[in-house]
Amino acid sequence: MMVALKDFDTKERMQWCPGCGNFGLLTALKGALAELGTPRHETVIVTGIGCSGKTCHYVNTYGFESLHGRPLPVASGIKLANTGLTVIAEGGDGDGYGIGAQHFVHIMRRNYDLAYIVHDNQLYGLTTGQASPTSLMGMKTKTTPWGVIEKPFNPIAHGILGGATYVARGFAGDPVHLKELIKGAIAHKGFALVDVFQPCVTFNYLNTYQWFQERVYKLEAAGHDPKNRDAAMEKALEDSKTDYKKIPIGLFYKEERPTYEEQLPQIKDKPLVKHDITNVDISAAYEELE
Amino acid sequence: MVTGRSLAKCFTRGGLNVVAYPEYPSIIRGGHNTYQVVVSDKPVHSPVQQSDIIVALNKDAVFYHREFVSQGGAIIYDSSIDAQKFKPRKDILLFPLPISELLAKAGGIPKMANTVALGAALALADYPFDFIEHVMRDEFSRKGDEVVKQNVAVAKAGYDYAKGNFKGFKKSIKPASDKRKIFIEGNEAIGLGAVKAGMKFYVAYPMTPASTILHYLIENERKFNIVVKQTEDEIAAMNYAVGANFAGVRAMTGTSGGGFSLMVEAMGMAAESETPVVVTLVSRPGPGTCMPTWTEQAELRFAIHASQGEFLRVVLAPGDVDECFYLAAQAFNLADKYQIPVIILSDKFLGESTFSTERFDESKVRIERGKIAKGLPELAPNTRFRRYALTADGVSPRALPGEQNGMHVSSSYEHDETGFSSEDFSMRKAQADKRAKKMDALIREIPGPALYGPKAADVTLVAWGSQKLPCLDALEILAGKGVKANLLHFSYVFPVNVKETQKALSKCRKTVLIENNSTGQLGGLLKQYADVGFDFHMLKYDGRQFFPEQIADEVGKLAAAGYKGKKEIRVAEKDYEYYNTQRYGL
Repeated sequence: MMVALKDFDTKERMQWCPGCGNFGLLTALKGALAELGTPRHETVIVTGIGCSGKTCHYVNTYGFESLHGRPLPVASGIKLANTGLTVIAEGGDGDGYGIGAQHFVHIMRRNYDLAYIVHDNQLYGLTTGQASPTSLMGMKTKTTPWGVIEKPFNPIAHGILGGATYVARGFAGDPVHLKELIKGAIAHKGFALVDVFQPCVTFNYLNTYQWFQERVYKLEAAGHDPKNRDAAMEKALEDSKTDYKKIPIGLFYKEERPTYEEQLPQIKDKPLVKHDITNVDISAAYEELE
Repeated sequence: MVTGRSLAKCFTRGGLNVVAYPEYPSIIRGGHNTYQVVVSDKPVHSPVQQSDIIVALNKDAVFYHREFVSQGGAIIYDSSIDAQKFKPRKDILLFPLPISELLAKAGGIPKMANTVALGAALALADYPFDFIEHVMRDEFSRKGDEVVKQNVAVAKAGYDYAKGNFKGFKKSIKPASDKRKIFIEGNEAIGLGAVKAGMKFYVAYPMTPASTILHYLIENERKFNIVVKQTEDEIAAMNYAVGANFAGVRAMTGTSGGGFSLMVEAMGMAAESETPVVVTLVSRPGPGTCMPTWTEQAELRFAIHASQGEFLRVVLAPGDVDECFYLAAQAFNLADKYQIPVIILSDKFLGESTFSTERFDESKVRIERGKIAKGLPELAPNTRFRRYALTADGVSPRALPGEQNGMHVSSSYEHDETGFSSEDFSMRKAQADKRAKKMDALIREIPGPALYGPKAADVTLVAWGSQKLPCLDALEILAGKGVKANLLHFSYVFPVNVKETQKALSKCRKTVLIENNSTGQLGGLLKQYADVGFDFHMLKYDGRQFFPEQIADEVGKLAAAGYKGKKEIRVAEKDYEYYNTQRYGL
């Protein structure tokens, strides 16, 4: 089924700064959805709060703009309720790796069939430029006037180690490449993480488009085998090892593992939302209680 | 626990009225655990302070409980213990039971010591033995016929020994009828009510005393054909529940106060996004970790005020297992129809106590899903469904994902009619007004307090939630003392039905508010909303619920004094005297 790209547009007023990395990401996301032919009414985009959270307003599917840090548990509830839906969770680096880190850790173990796109701009944008879990050491922000003295969180390494079955990283400055990664994530059966470098042009003076362009290279072109977990881990650590001179983007790791929901016999035939609840039979319960 | 439950089941099978009540500390081994079974052929609702028969399984138990035996009551204990050393009251009958000897003769193993005692207790109550066999079969049939037979033999050894040797105990109980009753815990009844209401998804993080809802539902997950999920924390649990409800599935989460603290954030999200959600809050003493395995009613205000902002919610406080079942079912209707959070507020006492009752009348459970949009007209290109349309009654039809032409954003931000974030002042006000407007219809579904006992009385007890149970039994005791009392009980605690509350209270002469907390939270609430007050406040907050004797005692004193005296009555418990070998030189 083909869905036209323009059908995914909405008429909402844009709330991102001119030049924001979110535009590239939005283009890639809509392109991926259109090319996959995902019916719009069977797609839910669940966002957290932050500049990333606004994404659901600009893609004409179902949307749930949840709370800061909570897109993953909301998306999980939606998926378990209706496994027939395509569910995409989106949040920022602060959202997903900071305040919502506990959900990130555990959702990977469960392997729900969800795509999770992280708008990683390495700081807090909507709250006007504080350090985030992925801010590089030495970076000066509103909350680190003398430079960051904590090691940055490595989402890719955590993704591989944590049990995500699709781990990728894209760059908003290359929406065509990013679109393919997102397509792969949505099509993948299991929990797919796509961490996206998404430059914040207003507050992040360090990690600019140019900064990334000078450093990123594509794993596909480098002959990386995403089935090789050890090699994937090696690549995940390359950025910090090279002091961020070489930053790989692309698909790091992919494996096939049963999803959580396909192991539940209760929803083998039909999703929970299709269960008839008009007159639930509880007579079996009485036998045990008598 | 298993032994106590088996004993209680023997009585339930005999068509009797049974209340079973566990007490235990927050440690797995080495604490003092008790299980009280109250049985009667007349209605009975609550645990009591004084027991007629104490089955003491160790020395400490004889020691602790010798103060809590009724006049002429008995203690059954292992014959290796020298109970006389503890100087029990003279009227107490001491019945030593040679447990290891009886076990050996019956071919049992040491683990079955409790079963010998169970047999003896049943014999002392002069109750027929054959009930044990049926109950043992239920309890142990999974472990094979041999285990069942062994347990029955062991129980019989205790039973026969008691019949032959324990003399002078006056009370007895006979089976009342063959009519089958169910024996159900408060928490189980909430779980079952939710299942009946079509709850397909339960999601929670373990927390005493709410965990038995999780256990019960997960044990029966496949039988009920529902999905039960244990999450990483209560934050996740609440967000899962909201997500599932958004997707159109009736979903519930459950916890105690500490976990509810973590859920508060997402409760606000449910309110702002107008997503229905049901939360069961089984409270225990607070603040902090406090006394995890004990009880208190101190979270009424918390439930009503939890989360930033102002929004509508419903708080239901079941007063017995039947109300647990029906209110759990009703919670989903209210949540769906008004697209609001609904909290079922129970507590450890009701939640973990087990009661005999009739099978629930399922015909009373209706499924009302409220406004769900279906078959929507085609949307103009690049536009969205008006999920938050400004309707006259404040409830806007919601479209579930999967519904063609229902695309919109459900948002925790203030939003316009399609869910797009809006900070327009007029839209903010319009949406806030729309949400508040739901109250007009909602309040018509909130009954006022229920009256128990005689219509006209000299004194009216006023209680909410679980304290209905000791109050009902206190009415009986008071009647015996010649005090004409009745009970006004609130199970729909919020919002307050002002008219009905005022009407009910205007008919009362003297009133005693009875709450299991230290500040009289319902009293404050009723004063605030309905401008009503009470003559006396009876409060208890030592970790236990009220016992009927305590209520009857205090109200009896008030009656004797012509209802004059201090307005505030704080009831405290006598501590168990801990077994102290040094002090007693044992």
